[in-house]
Amino acid sequence: MNVNPYQPLLATIDEIRLEVAGERPIKTLKLVLQEEDLRKRFSYLPGQCVMVSLFGAGECFFAISSSPTQKGYIEVSVMKLGKVTSALHECEPGDVIGVRGPYGNSFDVDAWQGKNMVFIGGGIGQAPLRSLINYIVENRKKYGKIDVVYGARTSEDLCFKKELSELEKRDDLGVHLSIDVEEEGWKKFVGFVPDNLLQVKPSPKNTIAVTCGPPIMIKFVIQNLLKLGFTEEQIFTTLEMRMKCGIGKCGRCNIGNLFVCKDGPVFSYKQLKNIQGEM
Amino acid sequence: MVNLDKLRETVKEMLTREDVKYVVGYEKGTYGFRVSPSFAFIPEDVDKFIFSPLCVNNLTIYPMLEEKLPLPKDEKEDARKIGIVVKGCDSKAAVQIIQEKGMKREHVVLIGVPCTGVVNPRKIKARFSHQGKNVDVEEKNGKFVFVIDGAIHAIPKEELIFDKCKHCENPTPVLYDVLLGDEIHSTEKEDYEEVKAFEERSFGEKWDYWKKQFERCIRCYACRNVCPMCYCKKCMVDQLSPQWVRRSTNLSENAAWNIMRAYHLAGRCIGCGECERVCPMGIPLTELNKKLQKDVKQIFSYTAGLSLDKKPLLAIFSPEDPKEFIL
Amino acid sequence: MTTMEKLVLPKLGIRKLIIGMLAEHRFFGPVDDDGATLFKQIKDPAELDLTFTNSTVPPKALLFKQTETLFKFSLGRSVKIDPVDITNERTIIFGIRPCDAKSLAILDQVFKGDYEDPFYLTRRKNTVLIGLSCTQPGVNCFCTSFKDGPASSENVDVLLTDIGEKYYVEVRSDKGKHLIASMKELLRSAKAEDENNVTYVEEKAIAAITRNMNIEGMVNKLDKMFENSLWKTIAMKCLGCGVCTYLCPTCNCFDIQDETALEKGARVRVWDSCMYPEYTLQASGHNPRPERVNRIRNRVYHKFNYCPKNYGVTACVGCGRCIDNCPVNIDIIDVINKAGEAKV
Repeated sequence: MNVNPYQPLLATIDEIRLEVAGERPIKTLKLVLQEEDLRKRFSYLPGQCVMVSLFGAGECFFAISSSPTQKGYIEVSVMKLGKVTSALHECEPGDVIGVRGPYGNSFDVDAWQGKNMVFIGGGIGQAPLRSLINYIVENRKKYGKIDVVYGARTSEDLCFKKELSELEKRDDLGVHLSIDVEEEGWKKFVGFVPDNLLQVKPSPKNTIAVTCGPPIMIKFVIQNLLKLGFTEEQIFTTLEMRMKCGIGKCGRCNIGNLFVCKDGPVFSYKQLKNIQGEM
Repeated sequence: MVNLDKLRETVKEMLTREDVKYVVGYEKGTYGFRVSPSFAFIPEDVDKFIFSPLCVNNLTIYPMLEEKLPLPKDEKEDARKIGIVVKGCDSKAAVQIIQEKGMKREHVVLIGVPCTGVVNPRKIKARFSHQGKNVDVEEKNGKFVFVIDGAIHAIPKEELIFDKCKHCENPTPVLYDVLLGDEIHSTEKEDYEEVKAFEERSFGEKWDYWKKQFERCIRCYACRNVCPMCYCKKCMVDQLSPQWVRRSTNLSENAAWNIMRAYHLAGRCIGCGECERVCPMGIPLTELNKKLQKDVKQIFSYTAGLSLDKKPLLAIFSPEDPKEFIL
Repeated sequence: MTTMEKLVLPKLGIRKLIIGMLAEHRFFGPVDDDGATLFKQIKDPAELDLTFTNSTVPPKALLFKQTETLFKFSLGRSVKIDPVDITNERTIIFGIRPCDAKSLAILDQVFKGDYEDPFYLTRRKNTVLIGLSCTQPGVNCFCTSFKDGPASSENVDVLLTDIGEKYYVEVRSDKGKHLIASMKELLRSAKAEDENNVTYVEEKAIAAITRNMNIEGMVNKLDKMFENSLWKTIAMKCLGCGVCTYLCPTCNCFDIQDETALEKGARVRVWDSCMYPEYTLQASGHNPRPERVNRIRNRVYHKFNYCPKNYGVTACVGCGRCIDNCPVNIDIIDVINKAGEAKV
């Protein structure tokens, strides 16, 4: 009983990659747990999250954006928004922060084997999806058709540009990028992600759709998926809330009687439809 | 006191006006000597309205509690007026808020009730701690009269009213659109006797007194939320970047909270005493606010909440100010 | 837990009993603090005020502290975490009312689970609860609405009932048995007459509870009325102050903040309230519960719908503190009864 679940493990920031520059920059931080034994034992599934501590500023709940197939480190993709994320953006490689987790449920990568997958992401919402996409791509043979539908406001706001261009080169999956507004040099889809989705028109047959992004985008994506013939059980999303404890005790992240940190963050649309709560 | 029929008639008529959204008044509470704020949207709602010596709430908090949320594209904001039943002290809060431009005069319709003092719930609870059934209290010949289980109680007013009522300088609301009853003129003067007596104590005694009180504070912020003058969109204690006051409940942070709030009210607090009434720990907050009230009166010859024409004291600079510079 | 022992203690013996306990324990009991009764640590039985109805702040504050240092850290060249020592001191909470004892059983559910909270649970393990039956329930007490009672010994280690010249002492657990063992010479076995007196006192107390909350079928009813106008009606009055949550024995929401002074700091847990808008405010500016109506509805549902679904128990023990202290007379008994009557 003497384990303190609020006390994080120490981790070093190994590498920082600037994904998106500008007013709301996004950086991917590569975190390596200091203790080698813990580093080896830290295991998680796509969709799970960690509480990242900036000692002195506070903690934030992030989805691990790297795939568990990449051993020895985890990556979180951070948008500069508030007190803690601003402090994280001031960090440099070599800085020590805290990590505790993994928390939450995960995408059901085992049950989804053999299925076709369509991922619909918007902006920073691509972060949890990236873990899932990379995991599935590393286990390509176990899954069917793969479509990555991803968009952002402008081409500059697209995350993971390098990885996406690598994925685009592959011929065993489809990558469908979009930006909201016309831009010089942009030859791909122009419009909102839910509209791009309709263009891509993935077949619902034996398919799982996973979406993550701004609440308004999720709303229209789900609407369009239903239009395309997807059932409630085939649609999954991962949600976020203001988090403090991450372990279902502080009370604030609830949607109805479910806690996003404990019973989520991954939810099926069927679950969400039936909960009475505020998101 | 107030003619109940007149009160209800006036409010019902007010509700027929197209430009009035609702009227907030008082209704019987759910037990004992409680009275609750009451919202009337349609004339039928008004039948619950009462006014009695138990009506302690300062209802001018309600225009400040209106939540303005983003509306759908075609929807327009319902900016109609709010009617409020106000006692003397309550009306001063309305004046002060309007002075500060916290709300527009046209936004409220004030139903003034001349008041001769209200019952301090702590005092009546001390005498009747287990009173479950609702009790109606009336004022008759300087006594509060009520019936419990057939027995008539008549208690001298001074034994039950708030201290603020004992020296009330404004029993008649200073601002109103309609006045229910005749004006009451008071010869009372707030002389700050208790404040002066406290000022005579040694610094050590004064600090020990407040140290003990601040250590009891549980930072529930009931004092802040009930205060009509505390309407900052983001209170200083809710700021995180930077954080001015920590959430830890210890003497240092609690003292910071209470003293800073008192200072933010300097020149603005109109002495309704709601803060002290609602504090679950019974911290004598009005003593803090009164001290600053006295200082403001002495230094600036200013009393908050009296006249719409006055400018908010600490928000303006006048060539007649005692000190040469703003600071 | 079933009753292990039934004993009596002459009134005059209570002082000796407490002194005996003070020798080996941190002893908390009801103390009159400038008009408010609080559970405080005492050094002498004379400090206690056993004529109280109930404390202003519930005894949850002794196990789930309002301010708790989770760990310390030092910054600078390299970050170091300094864990805090979670005290193992033997503690007695004396005079806890059956409703508050029940609230601890409810809080246990929250603080246990997959991630055990060592702060609350260590203290809980090392605390002996000596309950005191209510002989004069408060105006807003309604523990009987939850099939509980003012003399229930379900959740305490030892229950004392004032039966006039003596206290009836009911031992309910090994912890209680162990505690009493060293003071056995002050106690003697209860007789039939004593048991009759206890029944009489209990029945009198139950009869004094006049308010009733109709809790039957409330979980299902609430499922049907999420969008009901009742919540808006209550929310119009609500000041959003947080008094109800801080004084509620089952409320347990908290905030975690870092407090630093140059190169040193601590991560601190403090009580929080779901009634404040900042509670769920996200850094993006989005707030799932932007209006008071959302927050008030969430609070009622948490107590009467979500907790029953998650833990099988209503998170309300009928202590009445929220009713006593709400500045605008939002009355939870009235709210739930109105919810029961609402047309869906």
